[in-house]
Amino acid sequence: MEWDWAFAFEILPTLGKGIVVTIQATLAGSVLAMVVGLGLAIARRVKNRWIAMPASFFVSFVRGTPLLVQLYFLFYILPDIGILLSPLTAGIVGLGLHYATYTAEVYRAGIDNLPRGQWEAAKAVNLSTRATWQHIIIPQAIPPMIPALANYLVAMFKETPLLAAITVLELMNQARSIANYHYKYVEPMTMVGVFFLLVSIPSVIFLRYLERRFSTVSQ
Amino acid sequence: MVRTPIIRFDKVSKSYGDLDVLQQLSFDVSHGEKLALIGPSGSGKTTILRILMTLESLDSGSIFIEGEGLWHEENNGQRQVASDAHLRHMRSKIGMVFQLFNLFPHKTVLENVTLAPVLTGAMNASEARVKGLELLDMVGLSDKAEQKPAQLSGGQKQRTAIARALALQPRIMLFDEVTSALDPELVEEVLNVMRKLGEETDMTMLLVTHEMSFARDFADRVMFFDSGKIVESGTPDTLFSNPQHERTQMFLKKVIAAGLRV
Repeated sequence: MEWDWAFAFEILPTLGKGIVVTIQATLAGSVLAMVVGLGLAIARRVKNRWIAMPASFFVSFVRGTPLLVQLYFLFYILPDIGILLSPLTAGIVGLGLHYATYTAEVYRAGIDNLPRGQWEAAKAVNLSTRATWQHIIIPQAIPPMIPALANYLVAMFKETPLLAAITVLELMNQARSIANYHYKYVEPMTMVGVFFLLVSIPSVIFLRYLERRFSTVSQ
Repeated sequence: MVRTPIIRFDKVSKSYGDLDVLQQLSFDVSHGEKLALIGPSGSGKTTILRILMTLESLDSGSIFIEGEGLWHEENNGQRQVASDAHLRHMRSKIGMVFQLFNLFPHKTVLENVTLAPVLTGAMNASEARVKGLELLDMVGLSDKAEQKPAQLSGGQKQRTAIARALALQPRIMLFDEVTSALDPELVEEVLNVMRKLGEETDMTMLLVTHEMSFARDFADRVMFFDSGKIVESGTPDTLFSNPQHERTQMFLKKVIAAGLRV
């Protein structure tokens, strides 16, 4: 096993394209996971069973099946009913919805942790349900849950290689095709690993910082 | 002419599982009356305030605010459970101050006061600000307007909460053991605000309290509750000096023995 620097530099631009796609998928998936997760958390709390029950069912269903299977569904089976998604879109939707069911749980815990008195005070000053969520509940519930949310986003980032299975040319898929073409695996795979480390390690350090920063938020 | 009572309880019952908190409770409160509710804990007095603020529903009976159903509405002579819109309409007449303040910790003192008038559309931002500063002045907190609740003492928090409840200009104010969570030296500043409110406005005030001497000075009428029923009701002088019922006598004796101020 020998490391070929010339080869490593030669494949760097191609891998770079993959990195861009990986980052796109992570960022778009994160936004989706955060927004849909909040929607799910709120939907599960409303009194109307026709909203709360489907939301609960969706969460159980998505959590109970592997992400890879969900990606296959989105990309290979949805076209049968006329829904055609590009590989990257299917990948982002898959990652986003999958992680939304986890962020929903973070939101739920954060919302449940707010004292009941906050809801009662909002009612006593006659705020509408919407104003209560928007001005009282969400602004207080979010800061303490930021570390837990960020943790899931780092986890999602590390799951992006699964998108290779639905032909997304993200980093892993680029590396794999280079490796298959040249029959050289050491350089591309090592570089993929190094890239993930270069992002993950600072993320973990940043997460620790977030935990310190937001655990000291006082009343 | 006899005015419609501002609050009427008509055979109101409420239970939690097997526990009957309120049993066929009927009473009236007249406009501008200061009514103190006293009694042992678990006697249902806090529940009365919570049902009035629509934080809890009732099981049976009716409540009327200025003749209008609180928890029910009449549609073509048909009685219906109050809709959300009706409840919001009724809530606008009532303000409440809680034992544990329940201030919004992420908002400044002034924002705590102005938030509801602005969000409910009762005032625009600048009107609310003027009104808010006026109310903070009334409760003696003008200099704290831009601080967060965490920077306040318990007494200051509770005065902020009173200002917040007043911002919507309710006709009825509910005070639920508002001094129970305070250090003893901070109690008086909150009671003073309530006295001022009693003197300067003709607001109807219901208070659940363990401050017997305050209830005696302040209230027009005192009701003694036990097990979800009114045992005795009368002027403070009658009830405190000459209680008719054995249970009232025992309660007052216990309160005195416990060293609470009567």
